[in-house]
Amino acid sequence: MELSNRLWFRTSRAFVTAGLALGLAACASGSSGSSGGSTTSGAPKPPLVIGASVSLTGDFADSGKAVQRGYQLWADQVNAKGGLLGRQVTVKIVDDASSPTQVVTNYQNLINRDKVDLVFGPFSSLLTVPASQVAKRYGYSFLEPAGGGPKVFASKLDNMFFVQPAPVVKSGEVFADWILSLPAADQPKTAAYAELDDPFAAPIAEAIRARFEAAGIKTVYKQVYPAETQDFSAIAAKIASSKPDVLVSGTQTEDAYAQVKSLVQLKFSPKFMFMSNGANSPLEFPNKVGEANTAGIMSAGDWFPGSTASGSAEFTAAYIKANGGTADTIDNSSAEAYACGQLLEEVASKTGKVDNATIISSLHQGTWPTLLGDLSWDAIGQPQGTFHLVQWQGGKLLPVYPADTAQAAPVYPKPNWGG
Amino acid sequence: MHSLIQGVILGVLTGGVYALMASGQTLIFGIMKVVNLAQGAMVIMAAYLAYQLFTSFGVDPFLAIPVTTVIMFGLGVGVEVLFLRPLRREDKSELSLLVTFAVALLIEGVLSVTWGTTFRSINTTYANNSWTVGGYQITQVRFWAFVLSLVALGLLFWLLNRTRFGRAVRATVQNPESARLLGVDDRRVSALGFGLGAATAAAAGSVYGLLYPFYSGSHYDLISRLLSIVVLGGLGSVGGAVIAAVIVSTSSAIVAATISPAWSEMTFFVILLLVLLIRPRGLFGSVSRGAI
Repeated sequence: MELSNRLWFRTSRAFVTAGLALGLAACASGSSGSSGGSTTSGAPKPPLVIGASVSLTGDFADSGKAVQRGYQLWADQVNAKGGLLGRQVTVKIVDDASSPTQVVTNYQNLINRDKVDLVFGPFSSLLTVPASQVAKRYGYSFLEPAGGGPKVFASKLDNMFFVQPAPVVKSGEVFADWILSLPAADQPKTAAYAELDDPFAAPIAEAIRARFEAAGIKTVYKQVYPAETQDFSAIAAKIASSKPDVLVSGTQTEDAYAQVKSLVQLKFSPKFMFMSNGANSPLEFPNKVGEANTAGIMSAGDWFPGSTASGSAEFTAAYIKANGGTADTIDNSSAEAYACGQLLEEVASKTGKVDNATIISSLHQGTWPTLLGDLSWDAIGQPQGTFHLVQWQGGKLLPVYPADTAQAAPVYPKPNWGG
Repeated sequence: MHSLIQGVILGVLTGGVYALMASGQTLIFGIMKVVNLAQGAMVIMAAYLAYQLFTSFGVDPFLAIPVTTVIMFGLGVGVEVLFLRPLRREDKSELSLLVTFAVALLIEGVLSVTWGTTFRSINTTYANNSWTVGGYQITQVRFWAFVLSLVALGLLFWLLNRTRFGRAVRATVQNPESARLLGVDDRRVSALGFGLGAATAAAAGSVYGLLYPFYSGSHYDLISRLLSIVVLGGLGSVGGAVIAAVIVSTSSAIVAATISPAWSEMTFFVILLLVLLIRPRGLFGSVSRGAI
């Protein structure tokens, strides 16, 4: 889930400062075409074509390509095993240039013109909202790996399934669960909250604050900051002077890096520190704040290298074989996209069918094992699980809670900056 | 109170960084009457160059400045010769807005393609170090950035006031026709002037990359701040830009510490509005052409 929504925030911010610029850019690059999905059938069964609009250009390009890798990897895997119910799987990816209007056109074309059998979701909540409505109109099931913001569920669609453990705003619950499970003497007495004014950031910290205040942890400082905030010196100075035991940061990406940098510069290190986003990126975070400064920082995650969840080892090996690198370099978005495919496979093996109606009715019942853990959904596609609490230890991001999936015990109090 | 003073210290130091960026902008306006909307993009580009030199070759961002300065100077001259020179003199000021905005988009596009759209930051071993002085933290990067700004601005001042080229620049600013009559090649002065303005982006880029995470689209935020600083200081006045930069970042820091960080970003727009109401030419802008 880590980066799935930050770009929405980043785009809306750029719109504020330079709407004209983006408008022009979108016009210029909005019409990326699609290539025909040729079929090499001679086999008795026609291929199963799954269409998806993914951002291969524009602001979401990096994450969009990670989603594409996940979809394609799954298709290659399932084809190597003989396909889905004997049908070879073809993933038809079209580029939406990160544009919410192009994404609508793309799904309409995929469904009406290309007559794809199934569709998967795009990247980001911004694009998932309009895309899911197109899918709904044509009765298509909509497994989507990267749109978990409140607006996605506001339309209350029964054909949509967010393929992550929980809606974004609930991703911090696991930190509150862990803190409140500690012996009373170890629990923090005071807390500070620094929250980005964004639907994907502040609500996560607010949910934790509600739990903490109910448990008697005193709020000594709370600040919601606007997206334009670039310099965190003032906020960090306030946090440092209020000396909280625990710091809960409702962050996205670069604000997380900037908060850490400012706190290091002011030499204030709290006993516990949780960042909703930004700190859960295995490669980016240590690169941005310095590896030694990551020690002890906690965040939430769904997939992580070395996970023992269903199909994770197979995914990891196949990913590295196809794309090179190490397990640490795998973007979570690829794992989340891959999980969409896993779900199709399970529906197929359980029901013997892979049509849209079967997928929709099946996924609304029971729990479904994926490499992100066991997933289940309510009537409007909100996943019912919890994220894993992850913590930086020795330069690695490890799951530490809940205990059944933990790879290490949580370390507290947090080591001082610089390890 | 402690956090207020701490905020002010950091605000003043940050002001130095903005002064560096804004001086190039205001210089270009002073010489050519061109509002360079690509200045922010040039700063970000220089930050990427410093980032690449650091990650690939281990070159310290401060030591990379001479190299990036040469590159940015070349880029500035190129932009002037290729895109600005062909504009007709009568509507150059208006058209240059569009042209430099296009250059900004072009640079942003090239940066996105080259480095992707994820955030980058330059992490030297000293990036997060600070000295403790009387209970207050003075961050080393900001301090050196401030010193660097003073040095760069000093150089700029020397160049404009003590050299032949500087005299030609000032003459061109005051009266292009007379300057030409006296043998000043105003085309050359314009190209070099634009190059010089772009070159200030090199040092600013190194410092920016050390202080803040950045990506190709970061220039939108940057340019709006730079324009405010330049207008506040008086278009074309380098000294005014420096003072405006310090006023802006210090007042933001004070507001952030006393009221709320949510209001700090707005502070300088309020100051800008007040100044424009009371003194429309900016703090140090002159009514007649020609004060740099």
